[in-house]
Amino acid sequence: MALPAFAVYASLYLYPALTNLLYATQRWDGITAPEFTGFRNITYLLTEDDLFRKALGNNLRFMLVVVIFQTGFALLFATFLLKNSKTNIFLRIVFFFPTILSSVSVGIIWTFLYDPNYGSITAFLKTIGLGDRAPLWLGNESLTLYSIALTQVWFHTGQMIVIYVAGLQQIPKELYEAAEVDGATRWQQFKGITWPMALPTTAVVVAYTTIQTFKAFDLIFAMTGGGPSYASEILVTQIYNTAFISQKFGYASAQSVVLVVLVLFITWLQRKTLRLNDGTK
Amino acid sequence: MKTQGTNSFSARRVGAAAAIAFALVATSLPSAFAAGEVFGKKCTTEGVSTGQKTTSLICAEGSNGKLTWQRVRLGSTKANPVANLTPPKGSIEFHHWRSEDKVVLQGIIDDFQAKYPGTKITQVITDSTNYQNLELSKVSVNPKAALVTIFRGQQFTDFAKANMMVDLSNERFVKQNVIQSALTPGILNGKVYAVPYQSLFNNPIYNTEMFAKNGWKTPNNWTELLAFCKTSKAKGIIPFAWPAATKGNAGQIMNAMMMNSDSSIDAITKHVNDIQAGKELVTDAWFKGIATKYAQMNDAGCFPNNVVAYTDVAAQADFASGKAAIYPTGTFGMGPIKALNPAMAGKMGIFGMIVVDSKPVYQGITNNTFMFSINPKSNSTDQKIARSFMSYLLTAPVAQKYAVGTSQHVSVINVDYAENVDLLNTSVIMGKKLVLAPRFLFTNGAVATPVELALMAIGSGKNVSEVLADTAKQIKTALGA
Repeated sequence: MALPAFAVYASLYLYPALTNLLYATQRWDGITAPEFTGFRNITYLLTEDDLFRKALGNNLRFMLVVVIFQTGFALLFATFLLKNSKTNIFLRIVFFFPTILSSVSVGIIWTFLYDPNYGSITAFLKTIGLGDRAPLWLGNESLTLYSIALTQVWFHTGQMIVIYVAGLQQIPKELYEAAEVDGATRWQQFKGITWPMALPTTAVVVAYTTIQTFKAFDLIFAMTGGGPSYASEILVTQIYNTAFISQKFGYASAQSVVLVVLVLFITWLQRKTLRLNDGTK
Repeated sequence: MKTQGTNSFSARRVGAAAAIAFALVATSLPSAFAAGEVFGKKCTTEGVSTGQKTTSLICAEGSNGKLTWQRVRLGSTKANPVANLTPPKGSIEFHHWRSEDKVVLQGIIDDFQAKYPGTKITQVITDSTNYQNLELSKVSVNPKAALVTIFRGQQFTDFAKANMMVDLSNERFVKQNVIQSALTPGILNGKVYAVPYQSLFNNPIYNTEMFAKNGWKTPNNWTELLAFCKTSKAKGIIPFAWPAATKGNAGQIMNAMMMNSDSSIDAITKHVNDIQAGKELVTDAWFKGIATKYAQMNDAGCFPNNVVAYTDVAAQADFASGKAAIYPTGTFGMGPIKALNPAMAGKMGIFGMIVVDSKPVYQGITNNTFMFSINPKSNSTDQKIARSFMSYLLTAPVAQKYAVGTSQHVSVINVDYAENVDLLNTSVIMGKKLVLAPRFLFTNGAVATPVELALMAIGSGKNVSEVLADTAKQIKTALGA
């Protein structure tokens, strides 16, 4: 039974991944014969490539904002939507709804919303007399990444709410009843029961959200293409550009190797921070 | 007029060939060229043609050394255009990027399939950015993609490098149905590998009604252009609806900025090649001069407010609704604009964007893109179907249906544009000295992208020197990777 599964895994994941490692050691334009260059691609991008560092910095900032707000909102809403009442179930569906949309559609919709001339957000700001102060959501280099992060949070919070609700519903009610008997406030109940008991779920949410932020290619591609002036370029958009626009497939493979190592490291760090590996949770 | 053989085409002759080519890709020209063209009589502007029919005349140097109206020879041979080839039964995919042409092309496909039952053509459409980046990978593993359209420039070079195009040089429908000089972008080492279908004119489109109402004239030089911007802006009208947030169309004015940036297309080509080879920097005088023009246009108020976030969607909407005077991309924008506002039909004109005050070397831009090629990995039956459908598209009645339906000029002999007033109105540009869009001389994506992004940033108000210094660094890193 395990063999077919391994065959599928090996052909669709293992083989491409190992091939990618090989490409990372080559100079290859995707058309002509590749040339072996050893670790040159890796050392060059780590020591010489400013744009790679910029994309990496953007990616980390994007991750930080999305992880904090998406996790925070998801946990907050989940605590309010915990009971399986009809209203709560309906609201969970409403919050989950954006998740089923195509990310490109979401990107295009939000690009329209952010448009400084025709966008609803600017139109709304104008109606309340703040039209002159309306920011260039996708045009201001220091704001663009956060505007996209907001879209990402809107897009995926509903998904995380569902995960949190499932996790929070596993917490024994007796703990809350005992806390109430002891006179604990709601904040004290959250701090002493909900948060520690929700840590495993939080770890899943944070890890999943982190990976999402490193894969946010479609949203960024649809909204800004990485611009203006690379202000919203993240690692995956840069890898795409390196491979398919600059036609440096070997170099792009090296970039993707660094990306995988980075995501692994960050995920490990998060699990360590949330103390899930040593049984002390 | 001398007709060039396929072997004579080379990169260094692109400019000269193009100037003649696009005078030839002329439709029934508007009134400026509508009178006085009599066979054997004197004419004044070399290369100007009365149309793209086998009966058309062209102004060319005769044996006596004088310019006279002569019978035009449009194809590679003197023979008349031929009918399409008959296809075998079967099915193929037709890959392209023009979703805006989907309906018109489907109508043509339906006619073809009705004429030849048992033969099926399926359009596979990908957006232009992904098409340029991914199509080669896709078709190389998909032999059903028998008819594949290709962009001029980098994509054509890549397909050639990968041996992914069939040699079409000896096809009669190529030699006899297509204006020979329009074939230039699809020729490599003297062989035709791709047949350009559209003849685009990447010059600004302006609102003729608005110009007439305000008593404006299209600018003829740099000083007039900047003055026009100030006048138009003072009236509350966006002078140039330049979509700085949409890379593809933002780059169209780069063609105009480049075309008169040096003494000839050869000199411009050298600058580009040197930049791509790392021998010349974007901070050097040539490119800095181009970049500075963007800054000057921005300073003169040529572009809309918040231009950095101004998308092509907004630009088309502003032009179609009369908020902008000029849509500076090209003739291919007329179709979408009419779709937004049908009342714009017949109100669009075209002009060459001259950004020098001295006598310009070139007066406008043209481009032959949307080139048909056949996938050599397809089996012989599928290749025959692809050949047949390509030959069908290259017959005058079908090409005319495509041209009129999509508001595109085409490179096919005997096409009549009388049914589309906008094609007629914009045909005036064909009487100018045109050059093949020089923007596409940047064939290395690792250089082209930062260069275009730099110009977008400068046009949006960023400091010229700072942006170019950053860009030079990015190019150096990219070339070294």
